[in-house]
Amino acid sequence: MRRHISLYGLTFSLPLLIWQLLFFVFPLVFLVALSFWTVRNFRMEPGFDTVNWVTMYGRPVFWQAYGTTLALAAAAAALTSALAFPCAYAIAFKLSPAARRWAIFLMVIPFFTSYLVRVYSWQVFLSDAGIINVMLGWLGLGPFRLLNTVGATMVGYLTLSFPLVVLLQLFSLVFIDRTLIEAAHNMRCGRLRTVFAVVIPSARVGLVIAALFSFILCFGDFVSPIYLGGGDPTTLSILITDTTKSGQQWPRAAVIALTMIATLLVVAFLSVRFAYKGRAQ
Amino acid sequence: MNQENELNRNPLIDGALKLYVVLAYLFVFAPILASFVFSFNSDRFPSIPLGHFSTEWYRAVAADPLVWDGLRNTLLIGGVVGVVSTALGFGAAYTDYRYRFFGKQVYLALALLPPTIPVVIMGLAMLAYLSRIDLSGNALSVIIAHVVICAPFAMAVIRLRLSQMDPSLEPAAWNLGASEWATMRHVIIPFARPAILGALFITMAVSFDEFAIAWFVSGLNETLPVKVLGFLQGQVSPRINAIGTFVFVTSMTLVILAQLLLSGRGTATGKE
Amino acid sequence: MQEPLVSFEGVAKRFGSYTAVQKMDLQIHKGEFLAIMGSSGCGKTTTLRMLAGLEAPSEGIIRLAGRPINDLPSWSRDTPMVWQSLALFPFLNVIENVEFALKMRGIGRAERRRRAEQWLDRMQIAEFASRNIGQLSGGQRQRVALARSLVVEPDILLLDEPLSALDAALKVRMQSVLKNLQRETGITFVYVTHSQSEAFSMADRVVIMSRGKIEQIGTPQEIYRTPRTRFVADFLGSSNIFPGQLQQDRSGRAAIATASGHFLLAEDAAASAMPGQSASLTVLDTRMQIHLQPPADAVNMVEARMIGEEFVGATATIYFETGAGQEIRVQKSHEELADLPLAVGRSFHLSWLPADGHLVPE
Repeated sequence: MRRHISLYGLTFSLPLLIWQLLFFVFPLVFLVALSFWTVRNFRMEPGFDTVNWVTMYGRPVFWQAYGTTLALAAAAAALTSALAFPCAYAIAFKLSPAARRWAIFLMVIPFFTSYLVRVYSWQVFLSDAGIINVMLGWLGLGPFRLLNTVGATMVGYLTLSFPLVVLLQLFSLVFIDRTLIEAAHNMRCGRLRTVFAVVIPSARVGLVIAALFSFILCFGDFVSPIYLGGGDPTTLSILITDTTKSGQQWPRAAVIALTMIATLLVVAFLSVRFAYKGRAQ
Repeated sequence: MNQENELNRNPLIDGALKLYVVLAYLFVFAPILASFVFSFNSDRFPSIPLGHFSTEWYRAVAADPLVWDGLRNTLLIGGVVGVVSTALGFGAAYTDYRYRFFGKQVYLALALLPPTIPVVIMGLAMLAYLSRIDLSGNALSVIIAHVVICAPFAMAVIRLRLSQMDPSLEPAAWNLGASEWATMRHVIIPFARPAILGALFITMAVSFDEFAIAWFVSGLNETLPVKVLGFLQGQVSPRINAIGTFVFVTSMTLVILAQLLLSGRGTATGKE
Repeated sequence: MQEPLVSFEGVAKRFGSYTAVQKMDLQIHKGEFLAIMGSSGCGKTTTLRMLAGLEAPSEGIIRLAGRPINDLPSWSRDTPMVWQSLALFPFLNVIENVEFALKMRGIGRAERRRRAEQWLDRMQIAEFASRNIGQLSGGQRQRVALARSLVVEPDILLLDEPLSALDAALKVRMQSVLKNLQRETGITFVYVTHSQSEAFSMADRVVIMSRGKIEQIGTPQEIYRTPRTRFVADFLGSSNIFPGQLQQDRSGRAAIATASGHFLLAEDAAASAMPGQSASLTVLDTRMQIHLQPPADAVNMVEARMIGEEFVGATATIYFETGAGQEIRVQKSHEELADLPLAVGRSFHLSWLPADGHLVPE
């Protein structure tokens, strides 16, 4: 059909383009500019000064937080993927279609409950006088310090990304050609070996993408590290909130934010390359 | 055939896997259920054993005029965000469905990427930028930020519906004498209607409990989730459970409405 | 001859570097049933879509009733189409579907309803007027699609493989419905199909296309009896094709030398035959005779070994192979074969009259 630009076509395509340019691209671009501004007497002044980059990159605290965040997010992505896989696998292969639809519907519900409320609820479970310690007390154990630990942060990260990872893994598993699995059994490949030799390679793209999303979510999250991890160790997201609150140091926060975006881009790029490695797209 | 055949099944392994699924769902729903249970619990510090049934936290919340302000703002903002992001998302979904053009990849990236940027960073960038153009600190700034995040969801939902449409449907309408605008009104929109309403409810729900951006962006006009954050930062109070339960019930109502619209009449008359 | 209803004048369509339709001239006359036939990718659907304004020609002019329509958008042409998928609106019921085109033309509700009901009646689906599309059978949907297109009483109706989704029996029923409808209304039908039986049983004229080019235009009879190109002969699949070289035999008659022997040509073919030229001889499979012993009077004859047989209804197709590896098919009724001791592997003599052979250029 006619491909020339028409008023009709622009009516539908332009609004979103303009909106996302104005309120998505421009803010991010502005963040770059902001990182070169200076702060004097608690007031930001436009300019071009690399002082924020030099200051932030020169601070051991920053690199410590960077390492911590990277390690925590990577651990969370690995842990979530490992814990989610048996669940997604069972839903994909062991449930009836009706049960599978219900399982998917239930997994969607958490997306529409406030993450913050769920994290608060975990405090109730994990605090010193909380549900878990009370129950352990009945057995004559504890109390243990559960809240304000890295373990608690991980529980928060799982709360954040587990449902999404299960769903993404599930969608790649249900599209596996079942005859591949039957062919593997037919060639004397046992149950567990089939999972590693056939199922996981077939679903690799989906599994890697799921892990990537888990990484992205946890890398940028500030709720779990603060409210479950007690703010210690400091992650980049905590550093950003602290930096913005203290003395209008927005340009420095921008440096952290940009470093985070760059890291995410690199990780995303590498993951996608790995996901599609050896595949004709 | 969706399930393995009988022969290759091992009831022990299957049972263990199913048990694991149940445990996984328990983990996912434990905080949601706990929040619900403790919202009706009398104790000041929620734990077990439970105190007695009480609606005092709901009454406490209902008696707080600030909460009502927040609720009004949240609903107002949710409504506007739902309508605007559904309209923008529909336009983008239709553009992707109908046109091929140079730079389409970039267009789609812009349309779909925002939710993958961490909220802390989006919040920071938004607040810095919007205050620069004198838009920060009011309901409008919250709406702007929420639409950026919500429009991609609307687009995805509507695009999925359009991909179920017989590609001949639109040209068939032209062929019968309907102009492009008339076709939009009499064919595309009626066909996509379930998804449009679904997208409307889903984006309203997302806006409803999106809090982080609101926290950064909003000043005077706080939305409900911002209030929740306030509770968290200050004194921990079971009020949050009452608010959380209320938010949950509202969001779920919207989501279930969307679900019914997307799976009900839609597929019955969708594809030929 | 009166002015054609539609004429394609030097029309071509390219998609990027791919040529879908090569420069083509075609006239469609008022009141005829024209079938455009070819395998997928031959440009038949693109031709139809250009006529409907769904593709813009890369060059050339398309006229409808003498008026150039190249720049007319789809919705301003009266060229309704019946789609392969039918493209019925799933969110409208039967009568609303039929009313759609009238509504777009701004016709009032009462008048719309009256005219739509008339057509539902005519297509014998009046009882389904308020049904949803999803509740109809394949044949009923077909009728709704026809009613929806015909309700505006156009001069021309375009049909893009409308029967391809139906089962064999229903297909035959719908063929007669379509043919009768075309006769009664006098509307010009342009029918695109890949099915020879559909095209030949309904059309007054058939256009055969291949790789974006028109190979032959003619009545079904003409095309079936005398395929004009090697492609058409191959495509119809009802002729045996002997590639070879033209020459004159000792008595000065035109002949063709093929791998399986020399064969005499019909008198009229001899006139245009240039000795030395490459060409193919085509002989319809129903025109070949099978003999156990070589008959004395046979002019064109070849010895071949039987390699298989196939029975469809009252006719049988016997497959042979000559010593040179040429496959030959012969179609006969069971009675005609009754006296022959057919057996795979046995040798027979196959003959035909020179007048039954036709030349096609290589």
